[in-house]
Amino acid sequence: MSEEKKAKTPRALATKAAASIGKFVKNNLASSVTARSEGKKVAYAYIADGQDEIMRAMDIVPGWGESFAGVCSARRDAERFLQKAESDNFSRSLCTYATCTLGFDMIREELNGEPVPGASWGGMGRPDVILGSGQLLCDPRFKWPQATQHYLQDVPIFVSNMYYPPFDPKVDHKEQEKFYVKYAKDELYACVRFLEKHLGKKMDWDRLAATVELSDKTWDIFIDAYELRKAVPTPMDTGDAMNTMVPVTFNLGTQEAYDFYKDLYNELKQKIAEGKGVAQNEKYRLLWGAGLPSWFALGDFQYFNDKGAVFPVEITYRGGEKTERLDLPKTNDPLEHIAWRWMRYWTHWYDKARKRPGSLPKVERIIEYIEDYKCDGVVFHSAFSCRSWHAGIITQANVLKKIYSDIPVLIMEGDIVDISSYNEADTHARIDAFIETLETAKKKGRK
Amino acid sequence: MSRHFAGIDIGSTMTKVVILGDKIEASYIGPTGPEHRKLANKVMEEALSRANLSFKDLDYIVATGYGRINVPFADKQVTEITCHARGLHYFLPTVQTIIDIGGQDSKGIKIKNGKVSGFVMNDKCAAGTGRFMEVIADALAVPLEKLGELSLTATKPAFISSTCTVFAEHEVTNQLANGESTANLVAGIHDAIAARVFGLLNKLKIEPDVAVTGGGAKNIGLVKAIEARFKCKILVPPEPLITGAMGAALIGKETYENSVKSGETLLRSGKGLREATFFN
Amino acid sequence: MTQSNNNGLATAEKYYTQFGSRARELKASGKKVIGYLSALGPVEILTAAGVVPVRLKGNVSEAITKGDAYMETIVCPFVRNVFDAAVKGKFDFLDGMMLPHQCDSIDRTNDVWSLNLNLPYWHFLNVPHVTDDPSIDFTKEILRVFIGTLEKFTGKKITNEAITEAVKAHNENRKLMRELYDLRKTNPPLMSGSEMIKVLVAAMSLPVDESSALIKSVTKEVKERKAPAGKKAARIMLIGDQIDDAAIMDAIEGTGANLVMDDLSIGAKMYWQDVDVTSDPLQGIAERYLRKLKIPTTYIGDSDNYQENLEIRFGHMKKYIKEFSVNGVILFIYKYCDPYGFEVPAIKSFIESAGVPVLYLEDEYSTSTLARVKTRIEAFLEMIA
Repeated sequence: MSEEKKAKTPRALATKAAASIGKFVKNNLASSVTARSEGKKVAYAYIADGQDEIMRAMDIVPGWGESFAGVCSARRDAERFLQKAESDNFSRSLCTYATCTLGFDMIREELNGEPVPGASWGGMGRPDVILGSGQLLCDPRFKWPQATQHYLQDVPIFVSNMYYPPFDPKVDHKEQEKFYVKYAKDELYACVRFLEKHLGKKMDWDRLAATVELSDKTWDIFIDAYELRKAVPTPMDTGDAMNTMVPVTFNLGTQEAYDFYKDLYNELKQKIAEGKGVAQNEKYRLLWGAGLPSWFALGDFQYFNDKGAVFPVEITYRGGEKTERLDLPKTNDPLEHIAWRWMRYWTHWYDKARKRPGSLPKVERIIEYIEDYKCDGVVFHSAFSCRSWHAGIITQANVLKKIYSDIPVLIMEGDIVDISSYNEADTHARIDAFIETLETAKKKGRK
Repeated sequence: MSRHFAGIDIGSTMTKVVILGDKIEASYIGPTGPEHRKLANKVMEEALSRANLSFKDLDYIVATGYGRINVPFADKQVTEITCHARGLHYFLPTVQTIIDIGGQDSKGIKIKNGKVSGFVMNDKCAAGTGRFMEVIADALAVPLEKLGELSLTATKPAFISSTCTVFAEHEVTNQLANGESTANLVAGIHDAIAARVFGLLNKLKIEPDVAVTGGGAKNIGLVKAIEARFKCKILVPPEPLITGAMGAALIGKETYENSVKSGETLLRSGKGLREATFFN
Repeated sequence: MTQSNNNGLATAEKYYTQFGSRARELKASGKKVIGYLSALGPVEILTAAGVVPVRLKGNVSEAITKGDAYMETIVCPFVRNVFDAAVKGKFDFLDGMMLPHQCDSIDRTNDVWSLNLNLPYWHFLNVPHVTDDPSIDFTKEILRVFIGTLEKFTGKKITNEAITEAVKAHNENRKLMRELYDLRKTNPPLMSGSEMIKVLVAAMSLPVDESSALIKSVTKEVKERKAPAGKKAARIMLIGDQIDDAAIMDAIEGTGANLVMDDLSIGAKMYWQDVDVTSDPLQGIAERYLRKLKIPTTYIGDSDNYQENLEIRFGHMKKYIKEFSVNGVILFIYKYCDPYGFEVPAIKSFIESAGVPVLYLEDEYSTSTLARVKTRIEAFLEMIA
């Protein structure tokens, strides 16, 4: 809608790498629009479902609804799509990534697949297939595709199921690894068969193996680059990371993604050598403990920075770990390798949690980062439309305080896409109060 | 022998009565107050006196609105959705889509062949209702009934982004403090309500003719804002506050006439007007 | 305390109003009680383990006062309410709980439940969302793990024979409930929706043999009723997840409509499908819970034809409409529910295409909003009259 405010001046990004991300995102969206004319197939897909390498090896162009909705949110042009979805009885309390994209799909369909006027960065192209997933991440990943099919009735859907063992302090999850990995592998094979059937092309297994190798290397360089942020002052913070997460999240398995992190690594090394930090005066180092950010309010990171608070590390979108730490069994089967990597990553902090009574794997990860990155406090963001990432945050904060230390914690509330939930004055007031807490804690000599 | 029917609409703020014979014989609007029963009597009495009738002259009484279950002398209760549709259809028979902006809720109603064919309600949230207008009128120190004409003098409606009444109030007072004119702010609030109402009505297929009823329909500025948002002419019934009571009276008349035709006994409440005042 | 054969409905009323009272008695007599949520709880396994399975509910008339300190308010209102009841000690008769992986609101709060309740037994059963063959195999594996934890807890081995016996007992239980439902096919139905919900709630809180005895007793009592005279009112089917309070049914039936059928997770969703008796009993159980239950959290409908997918997902609703002569449907969905919420346009259009009007209501698990709900229901009934 024309009268909606456009995004304010974007926050000053600390790294050139982060500033270049717009190009990646635009390209991703544009590729989904031009795919048809280039003889390529488009698959609507969702991040962190383990299907990246399969798509890239088959030259499938992903249509990332989450990216599109994030862009609409950041550009403050999501409301008309949310309203369109609401007009067909999708509740406002549902995942707003989904309802934003559904609204867009509905409008595009009414235009017979033609581009939706004014859609952020050209919008997304109509998909040939949809790849969903039932996993331990989120329900919308299989309900959203199904809901989409109500409007795109000729588009086939495949839903895989990628599970990993749930955390149980009394159980050694390694006893269940074998059948979990077999299950995940079987699901990945089913995904390949679906794509071969509906796209009429065969998987090139050598190419897949090479793509998986590349994605392993990308995880490694991604973490190497991020670990440079341990430096004091930190050369990059979460505000940037919400941009630099794009390649590993949306372009995993491509050379561009790998090259991006190589460049980032070099840039951060350079900044450290020059003593350049994110904030002029770095007073407080914070961990972004959980939660998707409000994409329309990334400027709030600037607000933190202006008060001397920086975020050298975050859990959100740090969707990988150095493969050597995951102790992956050797295999020639690239899909089996993905299955092991999937499972070992998601259970990486289980052993630590079992060793500390009352702990949880997510909290162990938080503790690890607090210590490695020398953090003074933790900030969580609870987004109302996303149960998947935000239910459980109160417990994480409580457990952290109980088993670790009385470190200052802030839980902010808002949403990923729906701006009507956001009030800038209130948010800033909360941040101010938290800064005061950090100051007090610092004075008392707490870590 | 002429028959008389009454429709009584007990809203959150106002109680409305229509006495119907072959035509409208009287109507009256009074404040509801906290105790529906007590005031329902008074409003009914007032309407009856204006029609020169007594309570026993009434052949059937239908109650509607928020407080409809608390009218002991009513013979039947019917929701305000059905009653507003019926009443509006009587006054404006070409209307297919109704927007009702009441004190505490807003509704969308579709009419097909004189009957309700679909409806949506927003009664969970003040934004888009009369309450929203009251809060803003207070904040701007403008009498509620003057909001409409004031907004027509706006040079450029302010943009209010918050959909929540409380946040919108903040925004309005902030903008006022920053020098924005009252007229522009009121016009901006009207736009915000129109947007909200549009979002609600979108769940129905908006088909012309479109009409507005309820207290909101008396605000000329709001009606214009709705016209701009809906991009079509918006009709307003002669007295927007009584469409519900009118519909109730019409349903009363129909119920009576059906029972005469079919020969079935008409069940009545058996309660007189006076008795209600003895209830606690 | 034995149940009299003559007052099934009174017994149901008792177990409905004093929810969990029987479990408390059984615990006092030395039995172990395991609570669970959702229609995905594999009761056959729990019964075979010799424990008393109790499907938990909250209380729609009770405001959430303690739970919010631990559990986010964006979680499913039903889950929040039951959790609140649990931390308030309403289920102090529990020796443990098992939570099946139905949805985010359960899976993401598993830690919140287990850490705060700190029960001697806890298990999260990682039920898949899809139904292909690898998923069946996987389900059997996790059922084996589940059985192992139960054996450790009870100190007793759970044999295949015990499971097969439990399967037969629960199949019988489900068959009896379906026979009770049949008594609602008449016009007007022989029992009200309000009475039915009390039977459903009572049944889910009793050991299977006592549940079956209760259902039999109610059926006998209702069969002996004279068909009520009166105008044929609207015949409504209620679709939703766990709607378990008579207040909701009364809100519908108080307007003169008859609630004649449901597709609720404590009703038809739970009782309409049986377990096939298979040589490996876990095979039949996996197949029932994965492939036979029609619940939004299990993804089905893989055909290349969308209309066929709708039939696969919702065809049973059309069957119910026909069998129970339904002429109006109320779709009652909780706020913050992605699995049901995303299905609303598809369900609504599917049922409307069968010529039956649908009222979609979004609400909380609470009676605080009941007046508003009533107005919508009344307006809907006036509309379809």
